[in-house]
Parts: sequence; structure tokens; C-alpha cells
Amino acid sequence: MIRSLLGLGIAALAAILLALAMGSVTIPPLGLLEAVQGDGTSLHRTLLWDLRMPRTLSAFATGGLLAVAGALMQILLRNPLADPYVLGLSGGAAVGALLAMLTGLGTLLVSGSAFAGAMLATVLVFGLAHGTGSWTPSRLLLTGVVVAAGWGAVITLMLAITPSHKLPGMLYWLMGDVSYARTPWPPLIILGLSVLFILPLARNLNVLARGPMQAAALGVSVRPLEWTIYVLASLLTATAVTTAGSVGFVGLIVPHMLRLVLGNDQRIILPACALAGGTLLVLADTLARTVIAPEQLPVGVITALLGVPTFLFLLHRSR
Amino acid sequence: MVSCRLSLGFALWAMLALLAVSPLSAGEAQRCVTDGTGDELCLHAPAKRIATLSPGATELMFAAGAGDKVVAVVNHSDYPPEALELPLVGNHTRIDLEALLALKPDLVITWVTGNPPAQIEMLQELGLPTFAIEPRTFEGVSRTIELLSRLAGTENQGYAEAERFRKGMAKVSKQYQHAEPIPVFYQVWETPLMTINNEHLIGKVLQLCGGVNVFGDMPRLVPRISAEVVLEADPHAILTGSVEGTADDELDHWKKYPELSAVARNNLFFIPASPISRPTPRLLEASKSICQKLDTARAR
Amino acid sequence: MSRLRTRDLVINVPGRPDGYPLNIEIEPGQTWGVLGPNGAGKTTLLHTLAGLLRPRNGQVLLNEQPLKLMKRREIAQHLGLVFQERQDSFPATVLETALIGRHPWLSPWESEQSEDQARARSALAMLDVDHLSDRLLNTLSGGERQRVAIATLMTQDPSVWLLDEPTNHLDLHHQVSVMNLLRDQATAGKAVFMCLHDLNLAARWCSHVLLLYTNGDACWGAVDAMLEPTALEQLYNQRLITVEADGAPVFIPVR
Repeated sequence: MIRSLLGLGIAALAAILLALAMGSVTIPPLGLLEAVQGDGTSLHRTLLWDLRMPRTLSAFATGGLLAVAGALMQILLRNPLADPYVLGLSGGAAVGALLAMLTGLGTLLVSGSAFAGAMLATVLVFGLAHGTGSWTPSRLLLTGVVVAAGWGAVITLMLAITPSHKLPGMLYWLMGDVSYARTPWPPLIILGLSVLFILPLARNLNVLARGPMQAAALGVSVRPLEWTIYVLASLLTATAVTTAGSVGFVGLIVPHMLRLVLGNDQRIILPACALAGGTLLVLADTLARTVIAPEQLPVGVITALLGVPTFLFLLHRSR
Repeated sequence: MVSCRLSLGFALWAMLALLAVSPLSAGEAQRCVTDGTGDELCLHAPAKRIATLSPGATELMFAAGAGDKVVAVVNHSDYPPEALELPLVGNHTRIDLEALLALKPDLVITWVTGNPPAQIEMLQELGLPTFAIEPRTFEGVSRTIELLSRLAGTENQGYAEAERFRKGMAKVSKQYQHAEPIPVFYQVWETPLMTINNEHLIGKVLQLCGGVNVFGDMPRLVPRISAEVVLEADPHAILTGSVEGTADDELDHWKKYPELSAVARNNLFFIPASPISRPTPRLLEASKSICQKLDTARAR
Repeated sequence: MSRLRTRDLVINVPGRPDGYPLNIEIEPGQTWGVLGPNGAGKTTLLHTLAGLLRPRNGQVLLNEQPLKLMKRREIAQHLGLVFQERQDSFPATVLETALIGRHPWLSPWESEQSEDQARARSALAMLDVDHLSDRLLNTLSGGERQRVAIATLMTQDPSVWLLDEPTNHLDLHHQVSVMNLLRDQATAGKAVFMCLHDLNLAARWCSHVLLLYTNGDACWGAVDAMLEPTALEQLYNQRLITVEADGAPVFIPVR
């Protein structure tokens, strides 16, 4: 099991190196080597250190955040088909981001507004599902799905009244696009800390996956644990969405694929999600940057195009 | 029926050279003109109540001397200022057909790629004469003004304005024909990063001023590109449109790269967005402004 | 060794009068069977005894300490529960499932050691499911899953065992071996408390019986005193024929 994590770690490093080596501008291997050492042309250094490195790390962090958040949501809702967006978090973030774009605020405020929207969505679902004081995963799911539909309507409304010259920016944001990422450090740090924080709870999650009653009977304080997961998954998703818009599929397929291959021990699955989600998004973003270079695609399109067939293949093979 | 439509089939709307007085025009009784989609429109009498379904069309109609005949406009029709007073019939992407019909126009000027085709077809089925425009060249702007003035019966003003624009552009062109070429990047949008190619009117203005659009050869009119290729192309000047009432910070992100020539030479320029982004006679003033910026850039 | 005691306990069955408060003492070495018709609150009682449901009145005491003042982890080290219904949304193997029983005994950073593995494997062997160790739970039959659930409780190794219909889905042979196993556990010092729908299993294997009526009334005591045909007929609203076989009464419903 440790070996599979090691393998994923090596894959992640390889993906990051590939992402650094590839781009719209071709840097020869020698140029890359020089740029890494701080020599070489200033253009190569800028491309490597100012553009590709932050973007690649942002992609890695976003993918990792989404995959871990997806795994947590699936445990929380006891539903392997849940994803980080199922409770309407990305919808709230999107409304925040689009509102900022519509009013012509700068990119920093777009991020802030997206984060605020995601948190608002979290609190809204939290409050509504809590309601009378008793909530169940199905109540939470139902509330989330309906609230998500509400956000969807608001998004459509905003797109409908937006002047057309602002539409491309909004649509790319909705599709998920790492070019919105500014600095990779906040998402990377949040990812690292969250995995460290959740690891000691991972066996509790294994037990919770068997149902709340069974978990309680085995010594888990279910309610506090469930709120912890909910808040943590929301924070992770909000950070990811703030970094790169609503990148789809990573949060659903990465945990699911890993479970098919590695089993359902969260002590392995959660760190594996961080690594594999990050790797997947780094690779997808590298494709998005290079496939029709110098023109660029939003990474969300690539994750969907890559993720769906891979997922179907694994599902087919696992029978 | 006060009008008839003779469909000549679908020609390339970009081929504005075809925009010409039709040989089918039959004397004084009818005025026939061919629009941007190759359809011919004949009117028995000059139009008196005109709806313009894009901000550019509104502007061109005023330029053609028929501003007083415009009875309906769409959102963002903000030039000339009188246009702001006119009744709105929705957004150019979603036209309020009821409001439009209620204003009883006898001519509707549509936007080839900007209006929803289904709505335009419905207007045609309701018997409203439509005329589609989308000039893609400077000459196309002049020709469109002339055609619109023919439809509105304001040929005197229209042809004069078309000629003023034509001569003005020719003068600028002549003035800059030997200008030292300077690599230029025009930023349409910051995130995602978007630019224009040489087919775009903005690209044509850049060329007019002796600028070399570093992405002029891209296949798409408005391509989305990476920052990497901008750094590699190393433009000496970067331009972007500035929308009134917003902070001009869309070029700040380039300042992270002091080795970029445009940054090193402090050649980050804002130009008013509305004149440069519409195919109207205001392109003349926009061209002059861009040419001046490029002159400044050359001097630095 | 632990004992479980209730003090004036009234379980919370919505819309039902309080009935008769329970004051039962479940001691090490005892095997309790709870009998009652559908809807009498057997499962509710079991969950209340495990501290998973709040009682309407009264208290549950584990080793004289009120359950509601104890941490779940502490409770789980003394008291375990086999549920009648189990959730398996996620795939898990039989061995993983049994190992879950070690959860209350491991600190957050600890992982299962070979000793835990050995406990789980021997529990699976005791329930005759060790040959299924690597199979996924959702590929097993109902009876096999039931035995895996009991093996999980065995791996947990609490001193108070609560079981909800432990013989559900089991064939006759496995019913007998599970009941024998439970009695042996009691003999070894566990306190066993289970809901049963089969009167005859209670009659043959239980030392104590609790009769739970639909209206909330209850009576309890040693098995010999409690298995009165008239009381049972009233309990199930069903006439019974009593015969004796193998030294224990056998109850057969009248057609």
C-alpha cells in the first residue's frame, strides 16, 4: 500500500516535470536545464519560473484539493457518486465569480468573491439541511442538489444579461481554467495541511463509510466527525474553485478510480487522491496548453474528455 | 406590400466587395441594395422608421444621416449620445420582438453574426424588410454607410460622411505607409488572455499604423493564447481597450516581466474601447489615437 | 467484565405511552433473549442500550456509569452491537470488515498490527467464514454476511454483546452454531443480550428473557419463569401448542 503511494508520488513528479518542459513555446532540453540552474536566456527563465512553475503547481493543488474533497463528500453522503460540487458549492462560487466579472472587478476580487460565494453556499446548505435539528445524508444531499439547481438558475440568468464581450471570460471560468490561478501557495498549503489533518481521522472515516450507527457503535462520535468532514470538504472545494474555476470530473472520478484499484481504506485513499488528482490535473492542463498551441483550451474540457472514458474503462474492467 | 425580397442565396458575408448597387434596380420607383449576406432588398420608398439591432448599426445609421429615422435600438447603443434616448428593444442576442413590432419599423438593420438567426427569420416571416450588415474593412464601413443612406433616402449626408471617412483613413494610411514597423500585441481580454488576428478591424488598424501584430497570422479572428507566446514574441508595445468608468489595470500583469520590451520601454497603452471595437467612422479617431501611441512607442 | 443496567428506562417509541419502565441488570455470564411482536420496540431498546438512541426517561448504566456521560470510544471498548440492517455503499472485503472491530482499541495514528489481524482471522474462523476473507462483502449471501457481522463483534471483543436478530438469514446448522457460540461467550464471562424472533431459540439457549409488548409493557426474568404459554400467547396474540423436546419446551403456533 505504501508502495502504491510511492508510485503515485513518482508519477506526480514526472507529470510536473513534463508540464514544466512543455508549453506553447518549445524550450530545448539544454535550455530547460540551464533555466533550472538559473542560467540560460532570460526568456527561458521567465517561462519556466514565472509562468509554468506557478501554473503547474496551481494545477496540482487544484486537482489534489478536488479529489480529496470528492473522497470526503462520498464518505459523508455514503454515496460513491457524490462529488465536491454536489452540494452546490461550485454554484455559489460561480455566482460570486460571475458577479465580480459582471461588475468589472479585477481578478483578485473575482477570486475573493468566488470564495465568499462558496462559503455562502456552504452555510446556506448547512443551515437549510440542519433546519429542525436532525439531518441525514439524504436530507443534506437533497438540500444541496436543490440549492445547486438554484445557483444554476442564477448563473444562467447572469449569463443571459451579461454583455457579450464579457462572456468568454465567464464561460472559461465556468468550464474551469487554471489560467485564473495567481499564486500556487495558498492552495498547496491548504492541501498539505488538510491531508495531514485528516490522516489521523482516516480510520474513523473507514468506519463511517459503514453507516453512522455502525460507526457510533464502534466508538466514533459521528456528528462531530460529519461536521468536520463537511467543513473541511467545503474549504477544500472553495479553495480549488477559487484557484481555477469549476473544474469538473476530478472530484468524482479520481477517488472512484482509486477505490477500484486500491480498495476503500481512507488512510491510503486520501493521500492517494491528493497525488493522483494533482497529477491528473497537471497532465490535463499540459494538454490544454499545448494541444492547439499557441491557442489555449480550458482544462475542464480536457478533464472531462480524459476522465469519462478512463472511468468507464475501469468500471468495465472491475466487473 | 411595400417591399420585396429577392434572395440571391448565401454568399460569403465577408466578401464586402460584392456590396454594390444591384443591376436589378428598376428606376426611381425602387431602391435595391445587396446586404452583407448577399440578399437583395428593394424598397419602394425610403425607410422612415428604422430599427437598428446592434450598437454599431445605430452608429452607422446616424453616420448615414438617418439618425432621426431610427425608432428602435438595442442595449449599449450609446453613440451618438442621442441614441441613448431611443426606445430599447432588448439585447442584440435576445431581441424583444413584441416591443420591436409595436414600434412599427419599416426597415430593420441586423447584425450578420451578432443577432440570433431564428429571431431574424421570424422578422422576415412577419414581412419586415431586414438588411444585414457587418463591415470587415475600412472600405466596407464607407460602403455600408452609403447603402444605409440609400435605404433611408439620405444619400447626400451618407455619401459625404462615407467619403470623409474614406479620405481620412487614406490620409492616415499615407502618413504611416513608411513608418518603421513595430511589433505590437493587442490584448482583447486579460483572463483568459485573448487577442485579434490581422483579419480583425483592430488588426487592420494596427497594420495601418505600421504596427506588426505579433499574432496577425493566427487562424481565428479572436484567438485565446498563452502568456508564454507573448513573452516569446516580445512585442515592443502592448495595447488594450479601456472601458469608460473602469480602472485601467488590465495591463498591470505584464509588469511582472521587466525583460519584456514593451514593459522595459513603458509601452503599455490604453485606448478608448468603444471606437476601436465597432465598425463605424469613429475608427478614424481610434486609428489616429493608436498611430500616435505607436509613434510614442517607437520614440522610446 | 462489564455489566449493563437500566434504571427506570422508558424507550422512545414515537406515539406510544410510556408503559412499564425497565429495570434490568445484564450480568456477565447471562444470555438474554428479547421477545416481542413486530413493532414492540426490540430494536429501539437495543439501540437505546447501546447509547445510540436517547431514552424517553431513565438511564442506561454501564458499570454503574451513565452511558450518556461516556465517550463513544470508551463505550465501544465495553459494549458492541450487531445491527439487523447493514449499509455497504462502498466495497470492502470480509477481512477488512472484521478488522473494523479493532477500531475502538487503536489510537488515531495506530494501524492494525499482526495481533489485530490474528484476532480478526480467528473470529472469522469461529464463524466459519475464514475461507471468504478476501471476498467483497457485497458478493456474499445474507447468511454469510450475518456471520461476518458477528465475527466483527467478536474481533471488537467487548464484554457486553448486543445482537439484533443474530440468527437472521442463517440456515439451521449455522443458527445452532451461532447460538452455541454466543452461549459459550457468556459462559466465558460476556454478557449477551439479543433480540430474537424465534421463541424456541430463546427457550433453548437463553438464561434470561425479556418480553416486550406493543403497548410498552414489559416483563423479564429467568427463562424458566418467563416462558409461560399464556404470557407468550398474549405477547404474540397467537395460540400456541407446547411440547417438550431435548429437555426444553418447544412452542408451535396453532394453525
